[in-house]
Amino acid sequence: MVTELVPAAAFPLQSGLVPRGTRTFVFESIFEVFLLLGTLVGVVVVGYMLYNAYKYRSGSGNGHIDDEDRLVLGELPSGSGGGRKLFTSFFMSMIIVVSLVSWTYLTLLYVEEGPSDAESLDVEVEGYQFGWRFTYPNGHTTDGVLRVPADRPVQLTITTADVFHNFGITELRVKSDAIPGQETETWFTADEPGTYTAQCYELCGAGHSYMSAEVVVMPPDEYEAWYANTTADNATASESSTDESVAAKSSLRPAVVP
Amino acid sequence: MTDASPGGDAAADGGHEVARGGDDHGHDFPGTGSIKRWFVTTNHKDVGILYIVTSLFFLVLGGVLAWLMRIQLLAPRALGEGILAPVAYNQAVSAHGLLMVFWFLSPFAFGFANYVVPLQLGAKDLAFPRLNALSYWLYLFSGILFGVSFFQGGTFSGGWTMYAPLNVPTFTPDVGASTAVLALVLFVASVTVSSVNFLTTMHRMRAEGLTLRNVPLFSWTILLTAWMMLFAFAALLAALLVLSSDRLLGTTYFAMESPAGALLWTHLFWFFGHPEVYIVFFPALGVMAEVFQTFTGRRIVGRKWFILAMVLVAIQSFAVWMHHMFLTSINLQVKTLFMITTIGISLPFDLMVFALIYTMLKGKIRFTTPFLFVFGALLLFIIGGITGVFLGAVVLDYEFRGTYWVVAHFHYVMVGGVTALVGGLYYWFPKMTGRMYDEFLGKLHFAVYFVGFNLLYFPLFVAWETPRRVFDYAPELAPWHQLATVGGFVLGLSFLIMFYNLFKSAFVGDPAPDNPWEYATTAEWAVSSPPPLENFDGTPTYRDGHLEFLDAGEVAPSEERSGGPTGAAVSDGGVTASATRAVTADAELPTADATEVEGPSHASIWPFVLSAGAFLVLLGLSPLQDAAFPEGMVGAAYATTTVAGGVVTLGSLVAMGLEPFRGPVFEEGEAWPFAGIDNGKVGMWIFLASDVVLFGGFLGAYVFTRVAFGWTGWEPIPSDPIPGLVNTYILLTSSFTVVLALVAAEKKHKWGLVTSLGATFVLGIGFLVNKGLEWQHLFHEGLWLSTNVRASTFFLTTGLHAAHVIAGLVIALYLTARAWRGAYLEDSRSVEYFGLYWHFVDIVWLFLFPLFYIL
Repeated sequence: MVTELVPAAAFPLQSGLVPRGTRTFVFESIFEVFLLLGTLVGVVVVGYMLYNAYKYRSGSGNGHIDDEDRLVLGELPSGSGGGRKLFTSFFMSMIIVVSLVSWTYLTLLYVEEGPSDAESLDVEVEGYQFGWRFTYPNGHTTDGVLRVPADRPVQLTITTADVFHNFGITELRVKSDAIPGQETETWFTADEPGTYTAQCYELCGAGHSYMSAEVVVMPPDEYEAWYANTTADNATASESSTDESVAAKSSLRPAVVP
Repeated sequence: MTDASPGGDAAADGGHEVARGGDDHGHDFPGTGSIKRWFVTTNHKDVGILYIVTSLFFLVLGGVLAWLMRIQLLAPRALGEGILAPVAYNQAVSAHGLLMVFWFLSPFAFGFANYVVPLQLGAKDLAFPRLNALSYWLYLFSGILFGVSFFQGGTFSGGWTMYAPLNVPTFTPDVGASTAVLALVLFVASVTVSSVNFLTTMHRMRAEGLTLRNVPLFSWTILLTAWMMLFAFAALLAALLVLSSDRLLGTTYFAMESPAGALLWTHLFWFFGHPEVYIVFFPALGVMAEVFQTFTGRRIVGRKWFILAMVLVAIQSFAVWMHHMFLTSINLQVKTLFMITTIGISLPFDLMVFALIYTMLKGKIRFTTPFLFVFGALLLFIIGGITGVFLGAVVLDYEFRGTYWVVAHFHYVMVGGVTALVGGLYYWFPKMTGRMYDEFLGKLHFAVYFVGFNLLYFPLFVAWETPRRVFDYAPELAPWHQLATVGGFVLGLSFLIMFYNLFKSAFVGDPAPDNPWEYATTAEWAVSSPPPLENFDGTPTYRDGHLEFLDAGEVAPSEERSGGPTGAAVSDGGVTASATRAVTADAELPTADATEVEGPSHASIWPFVLSAGAFLVLLGLSPLQDAAFPEGMVGAAYATTTVAGGVVTLGSLVAMGLEPFRGPVFEEGEAWPFAGIDNGKVGMWIFLASDVVLFGGFLGAYVFTRVAFGWTGWEPIPSDPIPGLVNTYILLTSSFTVVLALVAAEKKHKWGLVTSLGATFVLGIGFLVNKGLEWQHLFHEGLWLSTNVRASTFFLTTGLHAAHVIAGLVIALYLTARAWRGAYLEDSRSVEYFGLYWHFVDIVWLFLFPLFYIL
């Protein structure tokens, strides 16, 4: 596995080993490799540890500490030999870790570059205690529901109206901090039409657990039809998931907030 | 060598009795059975035990909060369901994190450090025993203050990371939230005092032949931990003082409207927060290294590389903090840099893990309770480490941020560390109590603990998509959370076995020999269990390559005792000498101070009183908002508490200064790199180093805010720099008078000393009066702390400096009064240390003046 990955790191452009695609695809590809290698390394190391702990248990007769090597109370501390084995293992672990992370770095560059402005849909996201507002390019604003077309990159610009939040749609593997006075950007592409959940991933107050929004991924033509009917002054409440939950959530806000 | 022989036992018991019988030796020092003893003790072993017992209490408190959370998480809870209301859940989450990280983990480790490090170094106590007691009492009172916060409308509910602006009263208005922050301030004071004490001790008071590279690994980890604590906690103190000021005085650093206030907090917090990970983990690593060696019977593989790896980690820990901020608005270049440093800091740990594993090879491993725990800890740490590499890959971190993957990962690492420390508790229990614990119950505890641990934390990896601090999660994850809850109860209840075992064994366990572990090598095992009050009879030395105890005045190596092998002679020597310690101790004391024949002091009530005073001050200040107490009786009661606390604090400081207290006697051994410099001076330098970081944090906050605001659009607050300029000259002059004071003291010129100190005091007052007039003028112009963030930075940073000046003036006043009565002519060191502090305060002003008046 490792030997396959090293050339991938060295020649990223020639090989298909650097995952590119939707955020979900990118994450899953890398996560799988990490999970596989992590498990492998874990099993080998822990297995080796347990095996040797058993093998050299006191009374097994496998350990031999001759008088010269015997630890003596009050001696000045020193080390045992075995440095070569130590360094061999160290360098092996270093190669695995460094090559793995370098490999993911190439994907990071891809993710950071993001989709081109021409093809993507730009949506502004604003967190507040305790919900999310979405503003479309035409000025249409919704509260609690984000509608996007399938198979088209969506570029999110995220900020907050009050405290530090974090906007994430875990199934679509997209996430970014919502910081007062700052804007962060991220993007995602949804393959499958359907309904997903966006949640807040940074503790933001009493309603944190309920600070979610619906993400509706629509077939592109349906989306276009819906979008054509929106205007800048469309009432926000009409798109709220349920009025009842909004009322409940706002009751969690501290009274002192204006 | 083995002390299991009947003779060894008898001798150990003898040592035990003598240790108690010898208590009358310290003046007014009650025995361990007396309650009074525990309030006045300054002995490092007593303080160590106090730390351990107190930290275990906070473990229980934090654990119960965790249980409440786990019960809440048994199922996804809609609004109004579950045992905790939303705010209560947030409080439980926050308090659990804060209590476990601050009030349990580090103090638990430092309980061992207090007990063991002086023994391993060959010191009779820490360099400043009263300050050590002070650290403990500040710690205890900070914990009590945190406890009080629950009853003031509710404690802090913004998470242990305390992200801004949720951490300001606009969003967390409860008085208890302020109290929790103030409790942290008090805790940091404790840590700072403790760090200075340990660093001075460990650099200055090692036995002859015990060079730094020869220091046992546990002490090495404590040394590095103390250095990291000194700097990291100073940065935290800066963050906490700014936050306290925002909460109590109305400054606006972290307010929602501040430019980059939220981002400023993340930088300040994580600059502290990442080193903190190693601060809590390093002592555990030290325990692992010691216990591995003892119970495998082999020296650690690659010892010097192990040490080098730790030194690298300790330094680099200050350069990885932004990996907690990959999803903030920092740019790709910065992310890349911090990804590299993060991967870099993980590699030394690989080496350490392999070193521990290879140490087992060819050994004779005895699976006693301590070994089982550290072996388990290493397994858990490996899992924690591997899952940490996932987070090092930025693309994965983007998705793991704020999820249970992070929760599971850091619990494997941190509670993995706790596992090792529990092993340490079993390991040193016989030394501390003189009794053996029950081995069967110990192993049972391990089995239940280990199962509970993995049952609790492993399912969290599987359920990683759960957002942190959320109790309304996706229903399909519920089975994993239920498993975790069951594991949480198993893990928690396993401690009942330990408490029962250790409590019972402390009274009726088998008597412990000096060295119950066959292959232990470090010096704490060469003295009786428990060790005598002053640790060693005779001076420990390693000059011939192994531990020996020299009798008073003895220059030649210790004579062979009863012709036994050296190891036995050493071990017996400790016991034999302890039987005659009353004689030898007295005999060697004159070397310390020619005029004194009494032993060093071991008792002072003032650390306790001082801490109680500080507790009252902070409790009294807790309800402040915009620098005003609330209306009515409640406000008056709080204000009275503050004043009373202030009187107690000042009074006990003076009492402590006047109290005749003799520190530990020590012959100079290894003291690199501070050989030939007095302990007090070293301590002062180390303290000032932390103060540099404190001011660095404030100046960093100022620069960061100003850059975010726009550097050039930001006018200095005082439109007229003249008062500031005048103050610069006043302070420079006062630096000169302090130098004159020291010269006069050295020349034994009493009135010269009094006049110079008095002049310093007057100049300091002049500085404050001038500043007061300036501030009053600004106030009338409509500029005050809360006006805007520009004004906030000016008043708070120069205010912190003014507070330093006031503290200096209190000391100057005290010194002047004592000099008037003829003090410091024989021993001018106090004047010299004050001078160092005063020069430092002046130098800080030389930075503040241009930054806040000119630029």
